[in-house]
Amino acid sequence: MTSIGTGYDLTNSVFSPDGRNFQVEYAVKAVENGGTSIGIRCKDGVVLAVEKVISSKLLKPGANKRIATIDRHMGAVSSGLVPDGRHFVSRARDEASSWRKVYKTPITTADLASRMGGYLQAYTLYSSVRPFGITAIVGGWDSELELPVDGQVGSGPSIGAGGKVEGKKYGGPGLYMIEPSGLYWGYYGAATGKGRQTAKAELEKLDLAAGKLSLEDGVKEAARIIYVAHADNKDKEFELEMTWISNLDGPTKGRHEEVPKEILEEAERLAKKALEGDDDEEETKEDDKPAEEDKMEE
Amino acid sequence: MNHLPQAWGRPRDDVYGAYDSSYLQSHGPNQHTQQPIVTGTSVIALKFQDGVVIAADNLASYGSLARFTDVKRLRKFAGTSVVGFGGDVSDMQYLDRLLNSLDIEEAYSSSGHSLNAKNLHTYLSKVFYKRRSDFNPLWNQVLVVGLDDDKKPFLASADLLGTTFSAPSLATGFGAHLAQPLLRKVAPDEETASKLSKEQALAAVKESMKVLFYRDARSLDKYSIAIITADGIDLKEDEKLENQSWAFADQIRGYGTQVN
Amino acid sequence: MAAMFSQNPLMNGPNYSFNQTPTTAAGDNKEHSFYPYTDNGGSTLAISGVDFTIIAGDTRSTSGYNINTRYAPKVFKIGGTTSSQEDATLVLSVVGFAADGEALKERLDAIVKMYRYQHGKPMSVKACAQRLSTILYGKRFFPYYVTAILGGLDEEGKGAIYSYDPVGSYEREQCRAAGAAASLIMPFLDNQVNFKNQYMPGSGVGHALQEREKIPLPRSEVEDLVKDAFDSAVERHIEVGDGLQMMIITKDGIEEIYKPLKRD
Repeated sequence: MTSIGTGYDLTNSVFSPDGRNFQVEYAVKAVENGGTSIGIRCKDGVVLAVEKVISSKLLKPGANKRIATIDRHMGAVSSGLVPDGRHFVSRARDEASSWRKVYKTPITTADLASRMGGYLQAYTLYSSVRPFGITAIVGGWDSELELPVDGQVGSGPSIGAGGKVEGKKYGGPGLYMIEPSGLYWGYYGAATGKGRQTAKAELEKLDLAAGKLSLEDGVKEAARIIYVAHADNKDKEFELEMTWISNLDGPTKGRHEEVPKEILEEAERLAKKALEGDDDEEETKEDDKPAEEDKMEE
Repeated sequence: MNHLPQAWGRPRDDVYGAYDSSYLQSHGPNQHTQQPIVTGTSVIALKFQDGVVIAADNLASYGSLARFTDVKRLRKFAGTSVVGFGGDVSDMQYLDRLLNSLDIEEAYSSSGHSLNAKNLHTYLSKVFYKRRSDFNPLWNQVLVVGLDDDKKPFLASADLLGTTFSAPSLATGFGAHLAQPLLRKVAPDEETASKLSKEQALAAVKESMKVLFYRDARSLDKYSIAIITADGIDLKEDEKLENQSWAFADQIRGYGTQVN
Repeated sequence: MAAMFSQNPLMNGPNYSFNQTPTTAAGDNKEHSFYPYTDNGGSTLAISGVDFTIIAGDTRSTSGYNINTRYAPKVFKIGGTTSSQEDATLVLSVVGFAADGEALKERLDAIVKMYRYQHGKPMSVKACAQRLSTILYGKRFFPYYVTAILGGLDEEGKGAIYSYDPVGSYEREQCRAAGAAASLIMPFLDNQVNFKNQYMPGSGVGHALQEREKIPLPRSEVEDLVKDAFDSAVERHIEVGDGLQMMIITKDGIEEIYKPLKRD
């Protein structure tokens, strides 16, 4: 790496002469070693999934959750340093609850991503801190109804000034990925961690931009993609952890919840079956490392 | 004309006198609630064999003025419980938000168990007691209904002083005088309440709401009513009192226009 | 107190259509009108015997002329290691302002539990009695508005009762009545437990009078005394009634008895 020996990589917040912040790039390396996390924005909800690498047989299966609830309608998952992920979640919860305290309404996914983007970016500015060793995926469902403010007691006028606007659209699914630099974009499908390239390739095939994929199918695709991406990390065992947020008419009624056991197991069964079906194809995929990643390591 | 910016938009001193900014002063002793402002009247509730019925009208009064007529005073919590609020409406809204944030924090851990009505009542009563001990009370009396740890019907009261109690039937405010005797007739003890049918309980509560509307000047004929059982919460917030009869009214003597 | 419920404009509240002019002149410094106490009525009673202690209380809770509930216990087991308090050795009764009573009970219970975990043995009544006094005095300038009675068995296995005032002054006694009907029950106890004003028949007059010999009462007789005391109090005091809760502390543990009282 060009950074070695130059000294420009020894402290945070310092640019190298060619305009790079090496500490941030090293943080990205930490992310690239983590278990794969993905998020899918479906037409009627959002799925979050993570490949939870089992580091010891002494760990209790199903314990030590990696996907966290930030507010009723929002969840987050991250790849990279797990404690950094925990702190990210803790800060996100504080942001969500302080938003509610100020505005008396739930924070939107976009606003939370913005707040957290700002927060992570601040950790690239000072020599006394290091950047976050995670890339986080935040998924949420912003209510499609005109929400009452928290604590509202009445219904307000039905028409006229301050009244309801007929046919106005609110809310919908939200999916954002926030990187160690503080960079965040909104996505149809997001992937990070060790198997991100494979996962991204699979996500692209889903044509998510068309907005046709249902949440139910999204869960199955998410499980399959985690299984496919695990090929990049084959020597280690893993557990699949999945959560979802549906619209108000859906199974979670706008809340961020774990995918129920039966549905998760069915999705895993289908994922394993799909994997057996095209095992040979996967072998070839593993070899062609994409160009984008190489550039980073220069 | 005073052109100084700090005078912009202010009533003219020469016409209205100096602006009284005393209420804006940030020094001096802390100002705490000394009285409720916009208030809700009675809340009534009755246990039956597999749940609890609770009701409160939709009025918020400003003194004797019927100020807001579309105020929902039964608040759902965590899909398991309902809290019925009497007393100050802004304190009710504060508590509603407080309980909301409690529910959100509970959902952080995915343990699957949620707070029941009994847990909620304990929490609320400690909030009330803390605030009264700080001489900064939340001016409410509330009824908490739902199920307890053994999935049995739960009904308890908590108020601005932190006083708590539980009974087969409860009523706050005016309801303690007017509705409670009617409800106690239907359910004098836990034993009797545990044999009441839902229909019997519902009828007794609706009858009590009617009597309250007849005699409580700060009440309304629009009300909310909720039935809480193990199956969940059935909350209706836009009910009208039915089968009113004011035949008793012309018998009333002693005040108003009919002095004798 | 009238100001507590007043919403008069001159007292910073909304307006009524009828006249309710405050009697204090506007502009005077207004005293705050929130009063942090209330009286929830009820009575408690404790009597100690040779090898037992009985603490009892009625179960009515009132506010003014209203009955809040017919079952609100005032007598609690303290310092057990489980939520059912089955291995508790001490009993506390509180009467007065129920919210303070509840807070005091929870605080003492937590302290006695911690003592038990740290020392590996239950707290003695004597130690607990001193501790309770310290807790009450700690709020000397914003008191717990309750009359507490603590009961158990002392180091010799004899019945022990300690009674308190709201700010922690305390004393070990044979028997004590507290709460709304204390003034009705206490003289009865003086006479029936401590045999006050009872003299040997035919022992003479004036200084020649011989007091009746003081003998400790057996448990069954004390139980009857308690029931009689409460039945009488219920008859004459409107804040007492509905149910009688009795805790009997012996070396074998704490037995709880509930008996109905008149509900009128």
